[in-house]
Amino acid sequence: MITGSQKPLKEIATLVEPYERILILGCGTCVKTCFAGGEDEVAVLASALRLYFKKNYKMVAIDELTIERQCENEFIQEASFKAGQNDAILSLACGAGVQALAKRFAKSPVLPGVNTTFIGIQESPGIFTEECSGCGNCGLAVFGGICPLTRCSKKLLNGPCGGSCRGKCEIDADTDCAWQLIIDRMTLLGQLDNLATYIPPKNWSTSLSGGPRKLIREDHII
Amino acid sequence: MIQAGQQPKITVFHCLNSFRETPQLFEGCQANIVKMACSSMTQDIYLLKAFEAGADAVIVLVCPEQACRYAEGSIRAKKRVTRVKALLDEIGLDGERLSLFNTMAEESVALRHIIQTTLVKLDTIGLNPAFNHYN
Repeated sequence: MITGSQKPLKEIATLVEPYERILILGCGTCVKTCFAGGEDEVAVLASALRLYFKKNYKMVAIDELTIERQCENEFIQEASFKAGQNDAILSLACGAGVQALAKRFAKSPVLPGVNTTFIGIQESPGIFTEECSGCGNCGLAVFGGICPLTRCSKKLLNGPCGGSCRGKCEIDADTDCAWQLIIDRMTLLGQLDNLATYIPPKNWSTSLSGGPRKLIREDHII
Repeated sequence: MIQAGQQPKITVFHCLNSFRETPQLFEGCQANIVKMACSSMTQDIYLLKAFEAGADAVIVLVCPEQACRYAEGSIRAKKRVTRVKALLDEIGLDGERLSLFNTMAEESVALRHIIQTTLVKLDTIGLNPAFNHYN
């Protein structure tokens, strides 16, 4: 999933202050799972903003809605009516959701209420970790399902740096050494010898470094 | 500072096992009491809505952490209250308006003390500024 965290209240208040009526639009998929932009977070933010503006003698009418996904037009259209009724939309989705709304609602200012952080997983309740850099050329088969590009602080592809201590990264003692994890897993799988194969320098042209990417599925285009 | 004749509004969220409703406890204030089957039902939005509805202070009464019938209710409530207190500070309402106490239903002396302490605190921080501006 794409993870994110809500911006500080004051930053959000500054963004929406110029408008008289705003719609807080939540997204019921990724950011809901990481407690940044689902129905509950929309309700809490709306309540907090109402209190903030009342306390500061400002009248801003706040409307609330959460749709299933903000990155798909089929779901975005459910917000059309409320978008038309308000002066601006505060999106609690990832950056993709914010931009999808901006494309769909050309006349409405769309403001981001969430800082998009990374592609990750929920490690345990309330703890999310980054697992994928979206490099465009997955090599997880070689590394036993553990990505050194994302999870090794130095992005090393041919073995550990030698700086780890008791399985923890020397850059951050709270972070597992990705290479320790890879070696442990390959040992468990009986595939440790696979790591003897030299991995050439990464070709980053398939990543964002090669410019904005586009995915085309011709069989779905009419 | 609370003016003479003003009665602060206090909303009390409580676990069934942590508090027994006794009207005499609330002398000097208007109380709104919300009963919960377990304090784990304490949600951020309920606490904020209480302030939107005009509460000057919100008190959450939960069982002692080792005595929660559902194991983690008191711990969950404590974490949510801590989060909402920080949010109230961001709003500018003062997180001190929201407090959590570990109590048992039979502790009426302690409960009286909690209410009176809250009233003294309100005398310092004043009534809910977000409600009293427009209502």
